[in-house]
Amino acid sequence: MRRGIRILDRVGGVAGAALVAAACAVVIVPLVFMLGSSFMPAMDIMQMPYRWIPETWKPANYLRALAGNDGQWMYLRNILNSVIVSTTIAVTTVVLSSMVGYGLAKFRFRGRNAVFMAIMGTMMIPFETVMIPLYLIIVKAGLQNSYAGLILPFLMNAFGVFIMRQYLVTFPDEMLDAARIDGCSEPRIFRDMVFRNSGPAAATLAILSFRQQWDNLLWPLLVAQEEKMKTIPAYIVKFTAEKHADEGAMMAVAVIASLPVFVLFFTLSKYFLGGSAVYQAGKE
Amino acid sequence: MKRRESASGLERNRARWGWVFVAPGLAFFSIFSFYPMLNAIWTSFFNKRLLSLKAPKFIGLQNYQRVLGSEEFWNSARATGVFTVGVFVPLFCLSLLFAALITSMRRGKRLAQAALYSPAVLSSVVAALIWLLMLDPRGLANQAVNWIAMTPGIDHQWLSSATMVQVSTMIVYVWKYLGYFTILFVTGIGKIPDSVNEAAMIDGAGPVRRFFSITLPLLRPTTVLVSVMILIQCMKTFSTQYLFTQSGAPLAPINVITLNIYNTAMRDLNIGRASVMSTILFLFMLALTWIQLRVSKGDEAES
Repeated sequence: MRRGIRILDRVGGVAGAALVAAACAVVIVPLVFMLGSSFMPAMDIMQMPYRWIPETWKPANYLRALAGNDGQWMYLRNILNSVIVSTTIAVTTVVLSSMVGYGLAKFRFRGRNAVFMAIMGTMMIPFETVMIPLYLIIVKAGLQNSYAGLILPFLMNAFGVFIMRQYLVTFPDEMLDAARIDGCSEPRIFRDMVFRNSGPAAATLAILSFRQQWDNLLWPLLVAQEEKMKTIPAYIVKFTAEKHADEGAMMAVAVIASLPVFVLFFTLSKYFLGGSAVYQAGKE
Repeated sequence: MKRRESASGLERNRARWGWVFVAPGLAFFSIFSFYPMLNAIWTSFFNKRLLSLKAPKFIGLQNYQRVLGSEEFWNSARATGVFTVGVFVPLFCLSLLFAALITSMRRGKRLAQAALYSPAVLSSVVAALIWLLMLDPRGLANQAVNWIAMTPGIDHQWLSSATMVQVSTMIVYVWKYLGYFTILFVTGIGKIPDSVNEAAMIDGAGPVRRFFSITLPLLRPTTVLVSVMILIQCMKTFSTQYLFTQSGAPLAPINVITLNIYNTAMRDLNIGRASVMSTILFLFMLALTWIQLRVSKGDEAES
């Protein structure tokens, strides 16, 4: 009986592994398609049957992607915008969230719980619900088509505060008290001890925020109507919807847009995958 | 006496620093979360229009009447519902299945997870764009399906038929998020102590039996979490539908609620009605989160 189960387990294991391998292959196919097609002339992408390795190489797709259909080289500017916006937001999110998280984790004051609950409550507000009022605020402040307009609503977020608070609660009080007795000022304690030591949580949060903004389409669509203030996702939609858009160039646009995140993924994958683990731990 | 005074002074000083650290958060969330939230609800009672110089007029529940009485809104609600269900079922089942299979693998666990996860690295727009080309009438999707089904030369109208375009948006989503939720499940299964499984194995339970009688019940916190996350994620879907419609796909079948809000505000310039839909979306999300809290509270009470 037990032996039967063992055999069943082994057979199941092999079949399962084969199924997983097949699924991985299917999931990877579109990525291979993207990369291969980005070097093909448009005609070859749509030929039947599709050839995975380009027959005629057309690296000029990448030039076309960067130059745009109108030859204005707007993609370069839009990439720069995405880098500026996403990086700024990653930095401010980490700094501000750890500040607030530290205040909530290590200080006792009346109303602390209320503040914490209020901030956590904002997690229930979907961005899609507040985007129109936010847009009106930005318009009123005259910040359309500006970096400030793109960045302001995302300076920090409740999830960041939550991660940092959970992380900093475990920071040893003795170290803080020792520093206080030595006469360190509170801002210095935060900067030199607490912030310096929040590495893993801060890295996870930074990557998470960076990627969220790299992916953000809706908000830039609202506030950045000028071509030169668009970010990558908005450029992609525009480039794709234009007449005479070339399929090979579209895939080149896609590859360029994905490179930075893939580089991050391969160098810092533990924080990537860690992100979901932290998220799960946080939700429980 | 003096000592005690200074101690309480110290305490008060510390409390003050607490407020200082928390202050930027309070300011930020007041301006960029609470105010816009209240503003959205408030505006839903006014006939406010974008770019209009006239002062918005209070019209009570008229916006709600208009929205709830309009064909377009119910179409959006239906599109969102169909999309959510159509993504939820395959995404939930497949990620659970692959998580169970991956945990039982001896080698290559990390590799398999990374491979499944890789589409999640892409931006939503890039994911949608890749599929836009693959789903072209002359594209890879038709070729692959026709090859498997041995029906050469049939166009499945991925991007033009009303039903198929819905299916297409679901495919993009399931493909993109499969790895993410698989990893969440793998983490959840990892928390189940090995001893329980071993005991069942000694008692003669096969792999399928063990999965349904042990893994699944003990996985409940993760199952609830993943379900709510998928539902919320689906109700907020925008990029795929936006790119598809901008590239010529029919709007009605995939006019999901966020796309409708965006169009109502930015194309029709009707802020009041957009706010009504925003408020309804918020209430739905609130209900979901509430259910999740209830369920996880119940779990805690049980254990």
